[in-house]
Amino acid sequence: MSEYSVVGQKVKRVDAVEKVTGAAQYGADVHPPGMLYGKIVRSKHAHANIRSIDTSEAEKLPGVRAIITQDDVPSGRRVFATDKVLYLGEPLAAVAATDPDIAEEAAELIEIDYEVLPVVQDVMESIKPSAPRLHSDDTKDGPNRREITGQIRQLSRDKENDHSDEISKLEAELENYADEVYYNISAESHSEAGDVEKGFAECDVVVEDTYVIPRVHQTYMEPHVSVASADSSGKITVWASTQGPFAIRSGIAGTLGIPLTQINVIGTTMGGGFGGRFGVIITHVPAVLLSQKTGRPVRVQMTREEEFIDGRPAPGCVIKLKTGATKDGRILARQALAFWDSGSVSGASIGSTIRVRGVYKIPNLKIDAYGVHTNKSGTAAYRAPGAPQAIFAGESQLDEIAERIGMDPVKFRLMNMREEGDQVPAGGEEPKVGYKETLEAVADAAGWWDREAGENQGWGVAVGDWTNGCGPGGVYVSVHEDGSVRIFHGSMDITGTDTAISQIIAEILTVPYGSVTIRRGDTDSAPYSTGSGGSVVTFTMGNTAKLAAEDAHRRVLELASERLNTNVENLELKEGAVHVVSAEPPKSISLGELAAYSLSTTGGPIVGKGSFARQPSTPALAAQIAKVEVDPETGRTRVLKLVASQDVGFAINPMAVEGQIEGGTVQGYAWAMMEEMQYNENGNVNPGFVDYRVPTSADLPTVESVIVEVPAPNGPYGAKGVGEPPITPTLATMANAVKDAIGVRITELPIKPEKVVDALKSNGHSP
Amino acid sequence: MAKHPVKLTVNGDEHDLLIEPRKTLLAVLRDTIGLTGTKEGCSTGDCGACTVIVDGKAVTSCMVLGVTASGKEITTIEGLASDGELHPVQQAFIDTGGYQCGFCTPGFIMASKVLIDENPDRSEEEFRHALGGNICRCTGYTKILEAVLKAAEEIRTTG
Repeated sequence: MSEYSVVGQKVKRVDAVEKVTGAAQYGADVHPPGMLYGKIVRSKHAHANIRSIDTSEAEKLPGVRAIITQDDVPSGRRVFATDKVLYLGEPLAAVAATDPDIAEEAAELIEIDYEVLPVVQDVMESIKPSAPRLHSDDTKDGPNRREITGQIRQLSRDKENDHSDEISKLEAELENYADEVYYNISAESHSEAGDVEKGFAECDVVVEDTYVIPRVHQTYMEPHVSVASADSSGKITVWASTQGPFAIRSGIAGTLGIPLTQINVIGTTMGGGFGGRFGVIITHVPAVLLSQKTGRPVRVQMTREEEFIDGRPAPGCVIKLKTGATKDGRILARQALAFWDSGSVSGASIGSTIRVRGVYKIPNLKIDAYGVHTNKSGTAAYRAPGAPQAIFAGESQLDEIAERIGMDPVKFRLMNMREEGDQVPAGGEEPKVGYKETLEAVADAAGWWDREAGENQGWGVAVGDWTNGCGPGGVYVSVHEDGSVRIFHGSMDITGTDTAISQIIAEILTVPYGSVTIRRGDTDSAPYSTGSGGSVVTFTMGNTAKLAAEDAHRRVLELASERLNTNVENLELKEGAVHVVSAEPPKSISLGELAAYSLSTTGGPIVGKGSFARQPSTPALAAQIAKVEVDPETGRTRVLKLVASQDVGFAINPMAVEGQIEGGTVQGYAWAMMEEMQYNENGNVNPGFVDYRVPTSADLPTVESVIVEVPAPNGPYGAKGVGEPPITPTLATMANAVKDAIGVRITELPIKPEKVVDALKSNGHSP
Repeated sequence: MAKHPVKLTVNGDEHDLLIEPRKTLLAVLRDTIGLTGTKEGCSTGDCGACTVIVDGKAVTSCMVLGVTASGKEITTIEGLASDGELHPVQQAFIDTGGYQCGFCTPGFIMASKVLIDENPDRSEEEFRHALGGNICRCTGYTKILEAVLKAAEEIRTTG
């Protein structure tokens, strides 16, 4: 029996009715009077110098109201490419017209004269000194050849177990470029604990592999869209489909050099984000510029194809990983060298390479990671940015070690997991966590300990960790004369967070969940709120909501103390009324009566305020087990069972939490098995759902979710952020299951049927 | 571009419209009639977000030209609830948590309604395959299938 009456319950979500009736208003549903339709003109080449842009023919098309290029950006900040494009789809200009088809026609009529340049799409090619160079100013602080080749040499010493010699070949090739610097390196990140050389020397088993993880798209179902309206006084209103309205406001202000107070961003209901919906330039800034130029509202809406060529997907990477353990199962050393494909700009989550350390006591660790330019769009966050890639490498290799020393993969993990007080490699001290509980829970639920597998069937396990972020937020709570409660805040609902906030406030004010309503303000009206990403919302806004409700609670008791003529210490708020503790006969006053009374008091109405910025958050673990069957003739893998457990701290709404676990796990499954953005010298070649396959309901069985609750000391009711962890282990879970089923280790994702057939062939299997 | 006269019955209301032949049924519903509950997710008929019911059949409205829908009876997500009562499919999506961001939800609900009308006795596996033309990126489909099976059960027992 729960000690709570609203939190911890599977309540109906606050946005339930509007979402099943079509009433919810998404970005493209906004249609102010006189609205024009914008279209972005995009590069048709992946790497080219721009000789000229001729808009004259397009301007003649009836219905065209404005065409803008970089010359129309008063601040001079880069919105459109001018002299050079670095990827297929890079914006060069934008059109506004009275009809979307006319805007598209006009965009086609703009003539661009390109001088096509050599293209590089592969990170391992791009780091070679002979590669085409994307930026001319990258020479100053870049790492030199000696540093990188030194790291490669150190890693490649143990060649015996190496399944891939890609990096070793590179090493030989680099010898030809003795003193040259690397031009296409955009960023680097290094960390170290202990002494890996010494650690590997003490190991009985050392395994080394190269893992290749593709670039994938977040594939939120609602493409990017914004509607901007600049009025004659210069005030700008932007309806934006975004995870972070306040970030969009400051982004527009910074890009266009206008004051924050001149911009109001109204966040529309968000059709999925997963980290990819923070970009300012993608649609918002072009919409504002077009509206400023035409004096009319303008909608800029991306097509699905534009999403693929000019969204900000998750970076792919190549990770060279080496792990050593003793024969009794202690992991002593791990070393990684990673090259992340950051596309044409820096920003890939290279720091996440550290996640190869997992949740294990690895005394010796060394990480070297580089962001590398290629002729692709830039990247952005995707659900636990960088972690699925690094954890795929780490957890795949762990199974290889377990196999070599003859240990059960679950037991091997349990034996090496960190506990409270342990040193985190290259980190601080481990807080109280639920690593073992979560792995044990999934093993029990999946039937791991007495698992059976038929021919070509196999079981795989993996775990992934993530720690929710935290950020500033503000919440107001008002109590009304009818006893109802209104919440006001500025954070975008990310599939259930408004519901969690409402539950928390109903719990504290002891009112029925149904009498609480929540309203999100725009950036003009709402208190500042951090963006809805990084699993921050329940942690941050939950804490903020709690503070606001507690503030209102204080005022309620204060008013009751006046009305009931007794000290606050004698009063208790329960079931929507303040009661005098152990009064005979019972004496109480309802919240509604107190709210009505408050209107004529000196102190005024009941308004609670919560403001919160930061508390240490606690790591969360996701553990998953899959049972698969692989057809050795077709290479097709069928999932027979997929079980996912997660330490969520405390599930404020278990139905929503299960939904996050199920959804994240399926996204991880898709990254493992089917998704891959493909590029050639022309750019992205699979910009649509026919060639970039995402899972449908026909691809999977039911995902069984298991909630584990090891409370986070600073989370609201012990809650941790739940959105990101479930995607982190699935890539390795699937690869480990395939290995168990057919005996071949796939190190290059996705595990497409042809790859399985090829791997079986090279393993001596005859179909 | 020359416009053509088109007569559409949408959610019981008759609309006499003049439509450019290049406009899709989706564009007509959203931009001309102003029913924005039907969503545009891909414009290529692959994601199912724009699913509406045309003469009893589930149709991806981004793949149909408005002019070719003339004379047909169309139901959109806005027309599903009646007399202030949600349709059992809508109610089931709420009860099971069968939606998250909600963008694919109108398409899923319309596709599910037609499937259940055709045959409420489908197995989970059969519904999984029959709904393969609709993409959801948030839920992983587990709770969507729960919703569809619950609604099918409800419709089967109450007729």
